[in-house]
Amino acid sequence: MSKYLEMDITSIHELLVNKKIKPIDLVEEALEKIGNNEARAFITIDYEGARKQALELENIEVEKDNLLFGLPIAIKDNIMVKDLKCTCASHILENFVSIYDASVVKLIKDKKMIIIGKTNMDEFAMGSTSETSYFGCPVNPWNKDKVPGGSSGGSAVCVASHITPFALGSDTGGSIRQPASFNGIVGMKPTYGRVSRFGLVAFASSLDQIGPMTTNVLENAILLNAISQKDEKDLTSFETKEDFTRLIGEDIKGMKIAVPNYFVSSVVDSKVVERIKEVCDFLIQKGCIVDYVDINHIDKAPILYQIIAMGEASSNLARFDGIRYGLKEDSNTLEDLYKKTRSKGFGREVKRRIMVGSYILSGENAKIYYNKALQIRDDLKKSFDKVFNDYDLIIGPSSSRVAYDLNNNMDDPLKCFMDDILVMHANMGGFPSLSLPVGLIDNLPIGMQIMAKHFNEATIYKLASFIEKEFKVEEVK
Amino acid sequence: MSYKKTIGIEVHCELKTKEKLFSPSLNNYGSLANSNANIIDLGYPGTLPTLNKEAILLAIRACKVLNCKIRKIQHFDRKNYFYPDNPKNFQITEERTPIGYDGYVEINDDGVTKKIEILEMHIEEDTSKSIHSKETTLLDFNRAGVPLIEIVTKPCIHTAKEATLYLEKLRELLLYANVSDCKIEEGSMRCDANISISKTDTLGTKIEVKNIGSITNVGLAIEYEGKRQAEILDAGEKLQEETRRYDAKLDKTILMRVKETGNDYRYFPEPDIPYLVLTDEMIEEVTKNIPVSADIRRKKYQEAGINEININKLIANKDLSDYLEEFTNLNLKTASNLLLGDIQAYLNKVNKSILETKLTKDKMIKLVSYLDDGKISHKNFKDIVLDIMETDKEIDTILEEKGIQNVVDNTLVLEIIEKVLKDNENVVLDYKNGNERSLKFLMGQVMKESKGSVNPKLANDLLIEKLK
Repeated sequence: MSKYLEMDITSIHELLVNKKIKPIDLVEEALEKIGNNEARAFITIDYEGARKQALELENIEVEKDNLLFGLPIAIKDNIMVKDLKCTCASHILENFVSIYDASVVKLIKDKKMIIIGKTNMDEFAMGSTSETSYFGCPVNPWNKDKVPGGSSGGSAVCVASHITPFALGSDTGGSIRQPASFNGIVGMKPTYGRVSRFGLVAFASSLDQIGPMTTNVLENAILLNAISQKDEKDLTSFETKEDFTRLIGEDIKGMKIAVPNYFVSSVVDSKVVERIKEVCDFLIQKGCIVDYVDINHIDKAPILYQIIAMGEASSNLARFDGIRYGLKEDSNTLEDLYKKTRSKGFGREVKRRIMVGSYILSGENAKIYYNKALQIRDDLKKSFDKVFNDYDLIIGPSSSRVAYDLNNNMDDPLKCFMDDILVMHANMGGFPSLSLPVGLIDNLPIGMQIMAKHFNEATIYKLASFIEKEFKVEEVK
Repeated sequence: MSYKKTIGIEVHCELKTKEKLFSPSLNNYGSLANSNANIIDLGYPGTLPTLNKEAILLAIRACKVLNCKIRKIQHFDRKNYFYPDNPKNFQITEERTPIGYDGYVEINDDGVTKKIEILEMHIEEDTSKSIHSKETTLLDFNRAGVPLIEIVTKPCIHTAKEATLYLEKLRELLLYANVSDCKIEEGSMRCDANISISKTDTLGTKIEVKNIGSITNVGLAIEYEGKRQAEILDAGEKLQEETRRYDAKLDKTILMRVKETGNDYRYFPEPDIPYLVLTDEMIEEVTKNIPVSADIRRKKYQEAGINEININKLIANKDLSDYLEEFTNLNLKTASNLLLGDIQAYLNKVNKSILETKLTKDKMIKLVSYLDDGKISHKNFKDIVLDIMETDKEIDTILEEKGIQNVVDNTLVLEIIEKVLKDNENVVLDYKNGNERSLKFLMGQVMKESKGSVNPKLANDLLIEKLK
């Protein structure tokens, strides 16, 4: 088996330009690595389409200024790719074939990237282990007994296994960054509005954001360059064309960095805290100013998340009713159709969240819970904004612990939210946030989170790239 | 002591936009079923709403003509409920921040002016249309996402007549502002009435009569409900909150469903649409461009000397009234006679709007001036109406082709008059003895002799002169 896909993309691009390899070689390598899909990274593999596109690209000149030309990519299965199934890892959409391309997929296709398939995930992105997938949980390449993280677990496994150099994920409360952390790759949740959500099956509309998952920082920034654009079809998107790689390689001396005390408190595994502090010491050594700070409401994120995300989800998922598309159960009455289709079509976690969300929005509860949560969310955002007045970046762990045993959360639905207590703030405030591998603990990758104020992804990439290159850890076994 | 009725009215009007409220599909009544439905209208997963600015501008216009205050910062809300005609199973509406509030419509009830107060007006999307057949129900998503405004009055209406006057006035205001077609029969205007009766100041139990098929029927439904509710209360029974419909054939309201305690629509702010901020400039721009209202047109027609009957006909026929608005210096009286006479007869016959004919502005101006100058008569016009409406020919060419002589030459008219007087010496004598009716007869003879080709006014004047 060839190993081109383990090289950096600049090297692959050179091989393509010099006609040493063709796009089809990359596609065949990716398909070979997928094999029988034993890792369950994919829900749909587009053998035919990917090969066809690769062969078609042979008819045109390799675009020299387009590093992404002919490179394979995997798309999370809650993002629409025309003519491919879009299941959201749910029985209710098991046979749903998309009739349109998400705006982000159009941009990917414009760059002549080759879509290999649709990646596995938690059902409707609800979970942080990918165990709620109707199609079975993807396998963590570092340790098959550990969860791959979620909800973008399939995308993370795909990139970590070098099946494709890139994948798209979506992040509502850590769903890109936590699996990136568990798989030792780089995952970015951009600023809310940076990437169009048109064609992303909505989970919680005010929190959802699509982002790139890659093996390294530079490639992450390059993919974000390709997918971020204002979209007339998404009223929450912004006009923000810029080069995200532009600060990579600059000196980090003098950068002001805040570490929330909460991020290194007892809610986080002590080994994880230790590693983050090592990184902080390293940054101080390199001339950064690192302060430990308190941030108001920082501990409230999981509560806000449950109220806002579930409230919105209960409404967003109402359209799956068996009438226009998706699963339809035989029934005699309308009410029966709704009940049977939705009972059978949705998994346990999704049903639980729809029920909690409906309760939260019901009657007076909307005032007590939802409206209150929106207020506190606003306060939370303001307290982060205040920190960003004084600091360039906020850093901390991406997850409170490294990948843990499979089936660990199943008995307690609240546990899975605890994974994401450190990453939900970025969704609440719309801030960009990236997870970067900073070595291993017990042979499992650990991720560090770097967060910035709105539209400051370039600053995040600058620090992330520096740490990626310069920070070396003594691997402790 | 008798019961006093208290009525509140809710009206939904479809806005006359080119596209739908949240998608670029066409807003076009009467298209082939489901031909104006895209993935957004069908509620496909992954789709997001866009916002049609034209709809917002029309809603502002509606606020203006209904004297509503305008809310400058609005957000949309989701109203969550399951129904097959509701593609997302939520409707995007303005529950908490309606665009308009505290407005009024003035009605004239037998010379007494009354303000019907408007509580609020909000923007929302229409549902798809259910078409029920024996075996199944079909859905037409052409209507899904069409922009609506809902106008809600305060419970300040007390008689069926006030209700119908309000609805007629509301319809006229929105129609003339070009906000909506307001066609009840096509569903672009829908009326619900909330009716209660009471002998005291405390309001009685509210009964809602939904989707009443015409303004007249709203009045009938209110009368019927008033009687029905009084009979129940007089029998010592209690009313319950319910939703009914009005059956025009039976002249009865019929129970649809009993209202359950508070519908739970789980409203929350629509996260996919940012706050809508209206600027003063935007509102001013809209205000400047509101078409001339029916009331102002009425006044103009009165000043032009058009009679009440014709004024009402013109106002009822907005196409013709709009057509007249195109002219600045036209004899409106002559023009309206022309429009409401042979032209309207022609339009009705061929089922066309005046804009679809070949009656250009220039032609109209010439016609009116020829009529005023006596170059042609109304009778002449009958003969040439088809050519005028259906061909590009010049009027002079048509007249020539038809052999219609413009008898404006006095000597020619005098010749005819002299012949008539000679042939009717007895009648002339009668006239001279004071029989005024003889003049009419003689005039008739002149017209007959000239085959209608003389200008009647001219002939009349000459005839009187000759008889002196």
